[in-house]
Amino acid sequence: MGEPPKGTVTSLSSIYSPEDSQKASVRVQETISERQKEVQQLQTFLNDNTNLVNLVKKLPDQLHHDIMANHPHLDSFLISLTLISVPFGKAAFFPGKIIHTNEFLVLLGEGYYADRTSKQTIEILKRRGKDLESQIENLNAVIKDLKYEASFFIETATEAAEGVVEIREDYVDEFLDEEKEAPTEEEYSRILSRIDELEKEEMESEMAEEDEEKEEEEEEEKDKAELSDVLSRTHLEPKVISSEKHMGNEHLKSKESSNIKAPTSSATSNTLSRPIEQKKSEILPQRIVSKNEVSNSGSNMRNDSSQAFTGSIVERTHNTEKSQTSQPIAPPSKPVSRFKMQRK
Amino acid sequence: MDRLTEEKIQRFEEFVDRRLKPDLVRAIAERDKVFEQQKVFSDLRKNLENLEKNSVTSLRSMVNLGSEVYVQADVPDTRHIFVDVGLGFHVELTWSEALKIIPTREEKLARQIEEYTRLIAQIKAQIKMVSLGIRELLQLPAE
Repeated sequence: MGEPPKGTVTSLSSIYSPEDSQKASVRVQETISERQKEVQQLQTFLNDNTNLVNLVKKLPDQLHHDIMANHPHLDSFLISLTLISVPFGKAAFFPGKIIHTNEFLVLLGEGYYADRTSKQTIEILKRRGKDLESQIENLNAVIKDLKYEASFFIETATEAAEGVVEIREDYVDEFLDEEKEAPTEEEYSRILSRIDELEKEEMESEMAEEDEEKEEEEEEEKDKAELSDVLSRTHLEPKVISSEKHMGNEHLKSKESSNIKAPTSSATSNTLSRPIEQKKSEILPQRIVSKNEVSNSGSNMRNDSSQAFTGSIVERTHNTEKSQTSQPIAPPSKPVSRFKMQRK
Repeated sequence: MDRLTEEKIQRFEEFVDRRLKPDLVRAIAERDKVFEQQKVFSDLRKNLENLEKNSVTSLRSMVNLGSEVYVQADVPDTRHIFVDVGLGFHVELTWSEALKIIPTREEKLARQIEEYTRLIAQIKAQIKMVSLGIRELLQLPAE
């Protein structure tokens, strides 16, 4: 396109040095192992909790217990004593037995205790178990995220080491604020066909202009009628770009077929087209309607903003009615062309 | 400063950071553990003395089943108590026997604490010495 390079190229290794990425991944791995430890701890809590639920379930089966085979908190060696140990400080205990086996004192938190029966205690413990489970789930989700993070760091490190570059190019479009929504593909194709229509008409009008300026009016009227007939029958038109058509017009009026080309939307052709358009607009001021937006949305996306003015595409006044019928093609938020307003 | 001194200083600093300081932390943690044990036994002694004074023969207590769930327990006979003598062994003792054993236990723990305190002081002195050496190498005036 002959434009100066707009983008910047930065090698990935200059932004993220491989060593730093490695370090970051190591740190993330460390956090992962920390979290995994937490999960393990919670898991042991959960196991204790389920054991306790079983114990609490069994305790009221008898009026009192002196056997402690199912007591998880006492040394297994004491089981042979067949007496429960009642702790007396940490270093000593008395032989004893559990009484009131359906009465439990459960810590609710913050130093508050509640007297509960076995069933009520089991309910409390089950709720605790659910809480623990959800905590474990959360932690597992966090671990999963961290693992993705670590893999990303490792990937970045290897990419940086391989010398991958990042290419950054700013997209500038002065009409961008007007068209918030990008046209869909369907809209594109419709817009393009519309442009082609308009350009064909324009070409014909120019020819007419050069031949007989005064009869132009009628001639075009006729052309128009024919054209609209053709258009109404076939929607697929050969794609013509205005500038190239103009050049062709000047050089060889007779060879119209050579003007027909696919819209490559080159920036140079756009700049060329401008003066011609302006001249034409002086000659036919009242009939020229620019469908600037339509052409913009089609071709401007790929062009530099400075060269993005694709020229006005000329349209007859009576044609505008037709264009309005097909207007819903374009994004509805679009206002009527600014250029149109200026020229009128 | 020539490179030799620089290297020496670095070696000294590494010695302090990687050897002496972790040693110090470990010794302090060990001593804290012994302190805890000492407290356990002194509590036990006080409690036993209390029981003796009030001549309690039966006892009602709460047993922790885990997860802060308590259940009532009954001790029909308090004349015998099982005291932890280490390595998971509990010896059945009468009160008077227990009150004889516990002080010896406490004494031993106190000796251990003293040992640890000495060790900690030693490590601290070593750290101080090495840092003084570094200071000398850097030719800074002593404090």
